[in-house]
Amino acid sequence: MSEYAKKRFLVIDDQPQARDALRTIAQTIGAFAVEFATNYQDAIYRIRNNVPDIILCDYVLGEGRSGQQLLEELRRFNLLADESIFMMVTGEQSYEQVVSAVELVPDDYIIKPFSPDKLVLRLDRIMAKKEFFKEYYQEKRKKEYAAALAILEAQRNSEAGRPYRFEILRQRAEVLLNSGDSEGAEQAYRGILENYEFPWARAGVARSLHRQNKLSEARSEIDRVVASTPHFFDAADLKANICMAQGEHAEAQQILDDVAKKTPRNYQRKRLLAEAATLNGDTETACAIMADVVANDTMPGAVTPEDRLALARSQVDANDLISAEKTLVGLKESEMQNLDLDAQASYAALLAISSPGRGKPRFAGLRPAMMSAQLATNSRLDILRSALALGDHELADHQAKALLEGEEAKRSFGAMRKQYALHGREQDFRNIQKRVALKRIHHDEAPKPSA
Amino acid sequence: MHTLLDVLASGVHDAKNQLFVAESLITAAETQYGVELGEARYAIEAAATRLSRTLAAYTLLREDAQPAITPVIVADLCAEVGLDQKKHLAAAGIELSQSCSVVDEWPLDRDLVTDMLNNAIQNAGRHARSRVHLDARLDAGWLVFSVEDDGPGFATLPPACGTGLTVAHRLAFLHRRQGREGSLQLSNGASLGGARFELRLP
Repeated sequence: MSEYAKKRFLVIDDQPQARDALRTIAQTIGAFAVEFATNYQDAIYRIRNNVPDIILCDYVLGEGRSGQQLLEELRRFNLLADESIFMMVTGEQSYEQVVSAVELVPDDYIIKPFSPDKLVLRLDRIMAKKEFFKEYYQEKRKKEYAAALAILEAQRNSEAGRPYRFEILRQRAEVLLNSGDSEGAEQAYRGILENYEFPWARAGVARSLHRQNKLSEARSEIDRVVASTPHFFDAADLKANICMAQGEHAEAQQILDDVAKKTPRNYQRKRLLAEAATLNGDTETACAIMADVVANDTMPGAVTPEDRLALARSQVDANDLISAEKTLVGLKESEMQNLDLDAQASYAALLAISSPGRGKPRFAGLRPAMMSAQLATNSRLDILRSALALGDHELADHQAKALLEGEEAKRSFGAMRKQYALHGREQDFRNIQKRVALKRIHHDEAPKPSA
Repeated sequence: MHTLLDVLASGVHDAKNQLFVAESLITAAETQYGVELGEARYAIEAAATRLSRTLAAYTLLREDAQPAITPVIVADLCAEVGLDQKKHLAAAGIELSQSCSVVDEWPLDRDLVTDMLNNAIQNAGRHARSRVHLDARLDAGWLVFSVEDDGPGFATLPPACGTGLTVAHRLAFLHRRQGREGSLQLSNGASLGGARFELRLP
């Protein structure tokens, strides 16, 4: 009996004839349990309920969705274990261009038409590879980074690891990046590039540099990737993120706008676009995009309280306080209870403006925490705006100082200056800026402790 | 937004989907009636390959052509080419043998290199008396694929350069790494006595 008899297959294709064809092939290689998914939502629903062993997914899924987007979403929601097999099925050679460039790839892809024998050959190989990496996957899932790296290191020098040399190097670089060792990750990606100029490895260098806040270096690396592989959309997202960190919000919005047009149902990208638009002062776009995300990203659990806060933020930006209040008050009680401090602070700050009666007491209650805690850039900007509006100079200036001293100073600079100007306090803002700059110079000039 | 390439690609894509349906129907019939229709499936796959090849030729000959390079296990690639061609050649009384001494992964365009080797073996099969041999090995930092046959060899050297050969040369050339580029050599007097096709990739 075939070893595929015990495996649960899921065939994802929007065309009935092609679905039947894939089922026939799967049955020919011995599969008994073959389930169908007819579209994107259906596929996610089935995978969420019962993870299949082997997924055969057509690249073209209709309604502006692709198998690649499905794969990205599955990884994003952690619905696909490393042990499951994801095989992209495609009639187009162009998918090969995608696989050769992007960071997030399926286990393999196969070009139609293909015989049952060929599918078996491909699946056998993937199973052998999964077996080889079995222990590594377990450590990776537990986030035991040191143990995962130790396994990869041993495999890298083993005879059995020779056919997976690049895969080992690639996994190693990813683990280093995820474990927070951005410098190690950068070196790992550069090592791969010495072998070949893979776009995903160059993007990895840019990502590692971005994490180290070496923005202009990161920018020049990612510019190379985007210029040479325009179909590598994640690289465009990364470039936009780097642009935002550099304070170049108009360019970030332009990049994301171009890519989002090509991927109309990618709501993660739309969130990023809304963020760029907000920073760029394009409140109309930010409002429209966030409303679209909140209304249409139908993945269960996909629309988070942070999304509603982003929508409310854009509505406050647009001075549509009634809508902002409605958005904020619409948050469920259960969601409210689970907000972290960043989200609580943003909520209170936005509510203090859109619904002062309800918002001000909440905002006042959080003030001690706002004066002392480490907060995210977006939250600090929200607090800064409300504090200025309420005439709480000490609170506003504290946020401005923290933002200017932080690593994301360039990202938030334009928005801060605008708020201070709105309240006629440009000179005060310049003074805070000067103090922070002087402090930085002192710090840089201070003699380094000898080694 | 719709360039000529988009139009061609979409047409090829639809046709290949239809061919896939046809192949699965044949597969189903094989199971149902217990017959072997491998040659019918081969013909369908060959038609699909021709379509892909046409599109690949159009793409590769463009100025901005880029191969899709991924790390590929060379032995796996050879096994797949063997699977594609062995039975068909056997039906014509020709034995396809293989030797692959490369264990490691190598960065190359898997689909296009596979197709180039399939094509070379098909050509060799047309002229061979009884044998075709596929070999993969490493040679001083190069990956070398060769296809040899025991036929009469090329009538002229270099052989007349048709579209297929032009595309093959171009694809070899587009494989660039560490300042070196791939190449394609055709010669006579191979170890089997006939023609020899050799693809060298950096």
